[in-house]
Amino acid sequence: MVPVGACLALSAVLFGIGLVGFLGRRNIILMLVSVEIMLNAVNVSLAAFSQHLQDTRGQVVALFVIAVAAAEAAVGLGLVLALSRNRPGVSVEDLTQLKW
Amino acid sequence: MIFAWRAFTARQAPRKGAPYTHNPDGPWPGKQSQFRVMAMASLAGQITFYYLAAVSVASAIFAVTRRNPVHSMLWVLVLFLHVAGIFLLAGAEFLAAVQVIVYAGAILVFYLFFLMLLDLPAEIAGPRFGAHWPLGAGVGLAFAALAWYAHDPELGPAAERVASGGHSLGSLPAIGTTLFTQFVLPFEIASLILLAAIVGAVVVAKRKIGS
Repeated sequence: MVPVGACLALSAVLFGIGLVGFLGRRNIILMLVSVEIMLNAVNVSLAAFSQHLQDTRGQVVALFVIAVAAAEAAVGLGLVLALSRNRPGVSVEDLTQLKW
Repeated sequence: MIFAWRAFTARQAPRKGAPYTHNPDGPWPGKQSQFRVMAMASLAGQITFYYLAAVSVASAIFAVTRRNPVHSMLWVLVLFLHVAGIFLLAGAEFLAAVQVIVYAGAILVFYLFFLMLLDLPAEIAGPRFGAHWPLGAGVGLAFAALAWYAHDPELGPAAERVASGGHSLGSLPAIGTTLFTQFVLPFEIASLILLAAIVGAVVVAKRKIGS
């Protein structure tokens, strides 16, 4: 039996680490991986609540989160591929066309 | 473990000639040893949980801070496998299997393929974080602190464990029944999302013919 409060704390910490990675890293691919870490943190708290409330629905929602993560990976990496055709490297600091 | 074994052997080998008596407390002879077994199992579960949580946090930090992107990816793999262990502890067996197969097996390998787009030596030589990383770190810390502050310590009592037709909470029959009765419309919409993502990825990444 997993303590639900500890699970929520773990989820918050993992989400914070993923947020730091998303906001701080320079590499677009590693930014997308940080998003995956954040989605995993959400899944941890969903599973903890599912066990706490003895309800299967939390786990089903976590399955949907995994499906959306797969879709996000496909589209995001397609964008990275299109981007890397036009310029070398995948650093966010080179993408300044929208900046004024 | 020893208590469980003693209880088991005591049940398996009744005294010769002793008449069978129904024990309403379950298969174990006394209630006290049953509680002891449960307490020991719960202690082992807690130790396992704290191990998994500690390694998850450490590997997430390594994944975010390593200079070499391939090393980061491997730390993310460690993180995903330990999160699958946490799912197992929380009774979500099917979710743990999906985590290992889909996340660690498919999505992460996909990301590793895309790392081949990088000029790895130049990436390792360059800075890991953008110039704005203190702001990002501050936002992350603030978010984690807010989430910790906002969580209600009085969560209410844990719900009673219900046995629905002999299936445990996270087993495949329980998940499938919920998925195909109550969540059948979101399930179909998820398939549409995946289809749109496939088509969108091909359209975005396709090289234009003639240019």
